[in-house]
Amino acid sequence: MIKANQRKLDLVFFQNLVIRQIRQDYLENMTGFAWLILQPMILLAVYAFVFSTIFKARIPEAADIGFVPYLAIAFWPWTAFSEAILRANTSITANGALIGKIAFATEQIPLATVTATFIMHLIGYGAVLIVLQLTGTNIHWLYFLLVIPVIILMWVFACAIALFTSAIQVFVRDVAQILPPLMTFWFFTTPILYAASYLPDSVQVIAQWNPMAWFIARLRELLLFGEINFGFTALAMVLFITFFAWVSIRFFRRFSGHFEDFL
Amino acid sequence: MDSLVRVEAVSKIYPRVHKPRERMQAFTSLLLGRQPAHGATVLSDINLDVVRGQSLGIIGENGAGKSTLLKLLTGVIQPTQGRVVVHGNTAAMLELGAGFQPDFSGMDNVRMKASLMGLTNKELKERMHDILEFADIGEYIYEPVKHYSSGMVVRLGFAVITACRPDLLITDEVLAVGDESFQKKCIQWIQRFVEQGGTLLLVSHSMYVVQKLCQKALWIHSGKVEQYGDVFPVTQAYLAWHETRLAKEKKLRIQATGEGAYYRIEGLSLEGAIDGQPPAFAMGDTLKVELQIYSPDDRPPVGVVGVVRADGTPVYGVISDNEGISPVKLADHYYRFRLQFTDISLLPGSYNLRGHSMDPEGVRLFDTQELVFTITGNTKEVGYIRLPHYWSD
Repeated sequence: MIKANQRKLDLVFFQNLVIRQIRQDYLENMTGFAWLILQPMILLAVYAFVFSTIFKARIPEAADIGFVPYLAIAFWPWTAFSEAILRANTSITANGALIGKIAFATEQIPLATVTATFIMHLIGYGAVLIVLQLTGTNIHWLYFLLVIPVIILMWVFACAIALFTSAIQVFVRDVAQILPPLMTFWFFTTPILYAASYLPDSVQVIAQWNPMAWFIARLRELLLFGEINFGFTALAMVLFITFFAWVSIRFFRRFSGHFEDFL
Repeated sequence: MDSLVRVEAVSKIYPRVHKPRERMQAFTSLLLGRQPAHGATVLSDINLDVVRGQSLGIIGENGAGKSTLLKLLTGVIQPTQGRVVVHGNTAAMLELGAGFQPDFSGMDNVRMKASLMGLTNKELKERMHDILEFADIGEYIYEPVKHYSSGMVVRLGFAVITACRPDLLITDEVLAVGDESFQKKCIQWIQRFVEQGGTLLLVSHSMYVVQKLCQKALWIHSGKVEQYGDVFPVTQAYLAWHETRLAKEKKLRIQATGEGAYYRIEGLSLEGAIDGQPPAFAMGDTLKVELQIYSPDDRPPVGVVGVVRADGTPVYGVISDNEGISPVKLADHYYRFRLQFTDISLLPGSYNLRGHSMDPEGVRLFDTQELVFTITGNTKEVGYIRLPHYWSD
């Protein structure tokens, strides 16, 4: 009884944390929100220019869709994922003052950061999808209902990674330096700028174990091609990510009681 | 008995965290489920049991580990060894305004803090009016907290606490901020909270506040429990210890000139004194003093007997020849004064009995000796001495 009550109350606090994070990171200045859309737009334009104009990249399976929509569908979820992890990584150290003075479940801090970043980028994603529709790309809106669980699963995955990295960051400050190049590496090894079929067969065997590749592929299928392709792999993903999230929270709690000593 | 807080054999060791290598070591040992090996011991083997309705004052010098203990109780940090169990809902004021985001308005911060302390949105809505009334900062509530004066931050912080109606209120020395009238308001609120059955855990350097609000006291000295029990004996022992320590340097200066003194003190004694232990008397007891003086020319010397606070502040003194008293001659060169202070009205604390020897003319002071004694009792009066008084209408 008390426990159920406690959990509900924590949710109120968590909501407040997320709102605070959003206001702090995005709404603090008027341009913050605009940049949220503009920044990935500009990056998208750069990639589109480099790959479709200079390298003349053609995606055979998306010949009639075009390179830019093909990239855009994958680019926003990736940005949300990557930015969420990078922001959450330093969130514990950044909120050191709060942790040292007030007792609460510390995991809420990185989780709120990931959640806030996802919410804001999803708004951007929605805007981009509308722009794509208006510029002539046929978005399969009906399948958006299936996009939601995919994004939620991706959010859980990001949360789990953030719990690992942010806990380690408290002890080993170098994580903040190592993580950005690692995320860049992950970006280029995930079929975002290219199709998975471009990879040599030997690499494809390894690449299919990349959860992000699975997410991106499903999002493209649903929104661009209107295909539903959830099979055994979907079940495996759910099980794997649930297990991974469980391990990550156990890992985080092993350290969270000691954060104060190291901040 | 309804236990609210139980602390079992708790120790806290802060690991060494300055070098990256030390942090890495601490990380790996935590990963393997062990405690970080080396560090600074801040608290060791603390046992405590706070019963509902029995407020506890935590006292001790700066750096004794009081704040660390509070942090352990609020769950901000975890003990290295032992266990802390807290039942019931707790509100902690380790630092008023902690967790306030300076860029956000007072209103936003109240919302945040209230949710952190377990208020639902509905409850907060109902109590918002009370919070604003208690804080009494007017339109500033819509301004960012960074524009607040420190007093206003305290007001707002305390106002949120009042809305949470906790079972246990944990507070550090935070009431020292804020203006006179707000302090009064806070103290009144805490008093009402205690009277209505709330339990208070208070760290304070003011024994007056501790005695007023708490039934029990815990004296921590360099991370260990020095004394734990009813508030009066513990606070008095603490005060006595403190004064003695403060007086140590001063004492050196008034050290007796001893053997070389012309009219020297042969002995200063207090009836009821046992060797090595400062004698203790209750208020209202009689102090029986004996002062023996050696007179080199065998003329009867003048004696002075007085009481000073352990820190050297004089409380009372009396000179024999002013009162027409001559000493009793015990033998050649040896004289004795006997003096009784009846119905002693010194307030509880540590005192020194001081004796001086003077020449027969009562002009020059030759020798000084001191003797420590304590006065015990349960009283909430303040100062050194009880003045006869009555309250009239």
